[in-house]
Amino acid sequence: MIETTARVESNREIVSGYRLLTLSFEQDIPVRAGQFAMLKAHSCHEPLLRRALAIYRAEGPRQLSFLYQVLGRGTEALSQIESEGRVDALLPLGNGWLDLSQGNAGDQEDHEKERRRAIVVAGGIGSASVLMLCDELSRSATETHIFFGAATERVARGCGLDDLRELALPLTLTTDDGSLGEGGFVTAPLERHLREGGGEGATIYACGPWVMMRRVAEIAAHYSVRCLASLEAPMGCGFGVCVGCVVAVKHEGPAGYGSYRRVCTDGSVFPAEIIRWEVNAMAH
Amino acid sequence: MNNHDPALSVEIAGVSLKNPVIGASGTFGYGLEFAELVDLNRLGGFSTKGLSAKPLPGNPPPRIVETHGGMLNAIGLQNIGARAFVEEKLPLLRRYDTRVIANVFGYSDEDYIEAITILNDGPGIDAYELNISCPNVKEGGIVIGSSPSAAARLTEKAKRASSRPLIVKLSPNVTDVSELALAIVGAGADCLSLINTLVGMSIDVNTRRPRLSYGTGGLSGPAIRPIAVRMVHEVARTVKVPIIGVGGIASAMDALEFMIAGATAVQIGTANYYDPKVTMKVIDGLSDYCRQEKVPHISSLVGSLITS
Repeated sequence: MIETTARVESNREIVSGYRLLTLSFEQDIPVRAGQFAMLKAHSCHEPLLRRALAIYRAEGPRQLSFLYQVLGRGTEALSQIESEGRVDALLPLGNGWLDLSQGNAGDQEDHEKERRRAIVVAGGIGSASVLMLCDELSRSATETHIFFGAATERVARGCGLDDLRELALPLTLTTDDGSLGEGGFVTAPLERHLREGGGEGATIYACGPWVMMRRVAEIAAHYSVRCLASLEAPMGCGFGVCVGCVVAVKHEGPAGYGSYRRVCTDGSVFPAEIIRWEVNAMAH
Repeated sequence: MNNHDPALSVEIAGVSLKNPVIGASGTFGYGLEFAELVDLNRLGGFSTKGLSAKPLPGNPPPRIVETHGGMLNAIGLQNIGARAFVEEKLPLLRRYDTRVIANVFGYSDEDYIEAITILNDGPGIDAYELNISCPNVKEGGIVIGSSPSAAARLTEKAKRASSRPLIVKLSPNVTDVSELALAIVGAGADCLSLINTLVGMSIDVNTRRPRLSYGTGGLSGPAIRPIAVRMVHEVARTVKVPIIGVGGIASAMDALEFMIAGATAVQIGTANYYDPKVTMKVIDGLSDYCRQEKVPHISSLVGSLITS
């Protein structure tokens, strides 16, 4: 965990409301796919809290980019920072995707078997946390299929469609309005894929809106496919002390302590089956 | 950097601190979370997340919402419990040369005493801070801290049970904070810390629901600082015990306001979230101020407010 001030290389609008922020650091920042950073414009007093943004891509050991949607006061403030501006950053944070799939696997052989096939499901700006993952999976010769859903073709472009296409991996696209790919939600083609046996020996990696991840978790459970989900929650600190970003989890033992886990330090990637999706729906 | 500025040392209820800067309860975890970010050996001390006799799950999410100049939280005292703190955290904390204040919480007087009794077994705790001001629980906390008689009753019992100096943390959600302070000091408190968060609410106009699952939450951050400074000033004129000022401190200048108002030490809370090294910056800033203003020792500033 490094606390530092980074220099803004660029902060470019991709389509209205979606931007790519590229930061340069004075030291190497070792990152894993699926990790995030807490960011805020340097010397910005309002809003107060830093914002959690997924690390989109490592452009180099000292340069990282962040794909984000301008949604509220925090991201609005970030969108105003110009090149050469400075950003306070705390990173890298969270467990990341592959840390979890490796850490929980049995011996190395099991682990290799497990990673043979990957299904990556991204919804909207959830794509920001999967680009590095897809890249790593394809480099490790894992058979990877991407399912990417967005509201419209424009949003899909804002959420990094071109970068996903550049990976040259099998890519199934959906848009809510049918302006690109299949009309409807991304969970429909995912379910077909699993029904046809596409989930055998695979791990599903999901990141997107809560309702999407909840449905992906249900489908994965139905077809007995292992599923990891990267969650998002409003965060006070990003490093485990405020305990504000919790999600309700299923847990053994007496009711009470252990009912909640922190998205920032216990996640942000969790096995989908431990999340109590119905409880947390209120928060999303 | 391990050099300590002797001009910054202070003493609270017989406990000497290298400097008056303390991490506030609920924002500093169990201290260890900050080991990667700050030099804990430079810190005056920190107060733990509220510890109860048994572990507590806390409230359902959403638990926090940002407001202008601050934030609302309704964490609900999720904590590992006093026993786990003694067994798992204290041994690791002993590596650091800083003062450890164990913040204690309960749903009833008996719960508080049980937690203190467990903590009495733990080596390396320097003082207790009685949390009778948490607004995010239906029993204990603010329910006790809103009534001078209930607060005095618990303080007396806690003081008897405690093997260490007792700090009592006051709620600002009362009509007369001085009356509360007098009752608590009369019951044996060695020190007061104030203020805890102010009860607030935020509503999502689209869903017409509260933004926090608990409904209300505690407001913290720079927005509450003037209220905290006023209350510290008021209480400092009323009681003789030392006061720890807390509420929206984010810089050395903020800390100095509290000290001039009458606080012997300060706690830094919400700023730790958005500026994780803030405690170190405040310590450095206090040193700079003393040097520049030719203040031989920071304690000479305590209660030095000029009103004429």
